[in-house]
Amino acid sequence: MLKYTLQRLLAAIITFFVAMLVIFILINMLPIDLMQHLVDLGPPQGGEAAAGWTSAVTQHTVDTIMERFGWDQPLPVQFYRMIINYLQFDFGISLVVRNNVPVVDVMATHLPVTMQLNFISIFFILPVGVFFGVTTALTKDSIYDHTASTFVVLFIAAPGFVIAALLQYFIAFRLGWFPILLAPEETLNWTRLHSMILPILAVSFGPIAHMARVMRAELTEAITSDYMLLARAKGQSYKQAIIHHAFRNASVPMVGTFMFLFIGILWGSLVVEVIFNIPGISRVIITSMQVNDIQLTLAILYFYVAISLLASIAFDLTLGIVDPRIRMGGKKDGQ
Amino acid sequence: MDNKSVLLENNIPLDSEFLNLSREDFELLPREEKILDVEFKGESVSYAKDVWRRFLRSPITVVSAAIIAIIVLMGIVGPYLSGFTAFEQRWDLGRLPPRWPGFEHLGIFDGSTVREIQAANLPNWEPVLIRVVEEFEVVTSRGPVPMLRIRIDAYAHAAVQHAANIEQGLTPDPTDMYFLFGTDQLGRCLFSRLWQGTRVSLILGFSAVLINLAIGMIMGSAMGYYGGKFDMIAQRIMEVIVNIPFLPLCLILIMLLGSGMQTLIIIFLINGWIPVANNVRIQFYRFKNREYVLASRTMGASDKRVMFRHILPNAIGTTITFVALSVPTVIMTEAFLAYLGLGIEAPNPSIGVLLRNGQENLLTYPFMMLFPGIVIVLLMLAFNLLGNGLRDAFNPALRK
Repeated sequence: MLKYTLQRLLAAIITFFVAMLVIFILINMLPIDLMQHLVDLGPPQGGEAAAGWTSAVTQHTVDTIMERFGWDQPLPVQFYRMIINYLQFDFGISLVVRNNVPVVDVMATHLPVTMQLNFISIFFILPVGVFFGVTTALTKDSIYDHTASTFVVLFIAAPGFVIAALLQYFIAFRLGWFPILLAPEETLNWTRLHSMILPILAVSFGPIAHMARVMRAELTEAITSDYMLLARAKGQSYKQAIIHHAFRNASVPMVGTFMFLFIGILWGSLVVEVIFNIPGISRVIITSMQVNDIQLTLAILYFYVAISLLASIAFDLTLGIVDPRIRMGGKKDGQ
Repeated sequence: MDNKSVLLENNIPLDSEFLNLSREDFELLPREEKILDVEFKGESVSYAKDVWRRFLRSPITVVSAAIIAIIVLMGIVGPYLSGFTAFEQRWDLGRLPPRWPGFEHLGIFDGSTVREIQAANLPNWEPVLIRVVEEFEVVTSRGPVPMLRIRIDAYAHAAVQHAANIEQGLTPDPTDMYFLFGTDQLGRCLFSRLWQGTRVSLILGFSAVLINLAIGMIMGSAMGYYGGKFDMIAQRIMEVIVNIPFLPLCLILIMLLGSGMQTLIIIFLINGWIPVANNVRIQFYRFKNREYVLASRTMGASDKRVMFRHILPNAIGTTITFVALSVPTVIMTEAFLAYLGLGIEAPNPSIGVLLRNGQENLLTYPFMMLFPGIVIVLLMLAFNLLGNGLRDAFNPALRK
C-alpha cells in the first residue's frame, strides 16, 4: 500500500510540474506587454524634459518595476524563482483586479464561498444519489423505478445552467419561496443558508442523477451474481447479503464516478455562481483573465490543477482501500 | 403394364428389362456425396443489417435520431424561414415577446406582455390594453397608491411608442410583424438567431468530434499495430495530457488565442482524441494476432490494408457510439464557456451565447431563455439516448 501511494504521489507531482511549466510558458506567450504599453504612452512632450508630469511612466520606472518582479530575467530563471516563492507560500501580488493585494488574500476572500457551495453540495449529493440508486435497483422494473429512471435520464441530459434558470424563474421568482440571489451575509446563518438552497440544488441535480444511474446499474448486476447466491446459501438473510456483499462490490465503481463528479461540480458551480450572483472565485477568474492579471491568473490556474490532481490521487487511494485487487497490482485486461 | 415404349433423350427406346423392375431390384445405399446446390433455409444476416434491426427495434433510439435529424434540418434551413435575418438590428423593436400567426386570441404566444402601472395612468394605455389582470396597492411615503397589473399588446405598444421613427421609415411597423420566438434587446429575430446558433453549435460539435475521431483512430491504430517503444512513449504522453485538468487549459488557451470557433475546436482537440485512441488501440491488441489477420498478411496485404481494412472495422461500433455521446458534451461545454463570457464571439450566436443572453433577461423576459433552453435539452437528451441505443445496437452480446 505504501509503495502504491508513493508511486501515485510521485506521478502526480511530475504531472503537476509539467502542467505548471506548460501553463507558465503559455502565459508568457501572451501577446501583451503591460510595461511596454505604459512606456509607449510616454511623457507627453519631449521625454525627460517633462519630468513634472507625474502620471507619465519613464523607462526608469519600467525598469524598476521589471526588476522588482523579476520580469527582466530570462524565462527559466523566472520560472525557478516562482517555484521557490511558491514553496515559501508567496503567491505573488494581484496587480490589476485588486491593486497591490497579495494573491493569497484575493483567493482567501472568494474561495471559501465557492468551497462552501461545493462541499455542501457534495454532502447533499452523496446520500441522495446513493439512496435513489439503491432503491431503484432493489425495486427494479417497478413503477417507482421507471419514474425515477426517467428523471435520471432527464437530469443527466439537462445542463446545470438550464436547471438553475428554471429554479430561479419558477421557484424563486414566480413562487417566491427562496431568494433569487445569494444573501450577502458573511456568516453561515439561516438567511444565508436559505438563499443557498437553490444554488446547491442547481449544482446537485446532474451529479445525483449520474450517481443514481451508476449505482443502479452496478447494484442490479451485483444482486444477480453468483456470490450473492453463495452468501444466501451460507445462511445470510437477503438484507445482510445486500449490505455485506452486493453493496460493497457495487461501491467500487462509485468511487470513480464520485471523483469524476467532484471535478464536474468544481466546474458547474462556476456557472451557478454567475447565475445566482455568488461572490465566489468564478468572477475573479473571468476578470483576471480579461485584464491580464498574470500572477493572479497563474495562481488560480495552479490551484485548479492542484485540486484536480489531489482529487485523482484521493480517488486512486480510495479505490485501493475499497478494492484490494488494485493495490495488490492485478494485471489489467486487454492491455 | 403399359406397353408403350419409353424414349430416352436421343429417341432411343429404353430397354424393356428396365421397364419392368420389381421392388426387390432396388437396394438402399448410403449417400456418399453432399448435396451442394440446396439453398440455406434461413436468411443470412450481415453485421450491419443486424445492427440496423436492433436499432429499429428500440423506439426511443429511433425517436432520438428523428429529433436530431429535425434539429439538424432546422439548423440548415431555420435561419431563412422567418423572413428576418439573424443579424439585422431594429433598435426600436427590442425585447418583443413571441407572437405566432393564429394565436392572437389564445392567450399564449400572442405578443402580449404584462406591465405594472399606476391605476391613474390607465387611460394612457387604453389603445394597447388587452385586459386588466389584477388590482393591487403599493404603500409609498405618500400613502397607498392603487396599481394595476395589465396585459398589453407589446407590438402595438412599440408601434405607438416609436410612431415618429416608423413614419420616417427608420423602423419597420411592428403591428403586422410576427416574431415567432420574440426579439432580443437589439431587436434581432430570435427565431433566426436560435437556428443560426444551433447551426454554429452543431458545426462546432461535429467538427471537433470528427477531427478527434481521425486523430484518435490514426494514433490508436499506429500504437496498437506497431506496439513497442512507440506505443509506450505515446501512452505516457497521453497520460500526462489526460491528467492536465481541462478547465485551466481551456481558460489559458482562450486567453492566448481569444475566444472563437477555432480556439474552441483546438480546446476540444487537446484531449478529446484520447478515448478514441485508447479504444482503437485495445481493439488492435485484441485482433492483430488473429488467424484472419495472419492469413491476410500471408497473402501479401500491406500494413495499411491490414490495419484499416481488417482490424479497424472491429472498433466501428464503439467509435460511432463515441461520436453520439461526444457531440452533446462539446455543445454543452461551449454553452458553459459562453456562460462565463468566453463562448463564440459576437455577432454569431451559439446556443450557449443565446442562453447567456436569456439568463441576463430571465426575470423580465423569460421567453428569451425558453426556446434555446428547450433546444439544448432536446439535443442533449436525444444525443444521449441515441448514444445509449447505438451502444446496445452495436453490442452483439445483446443479440436476440
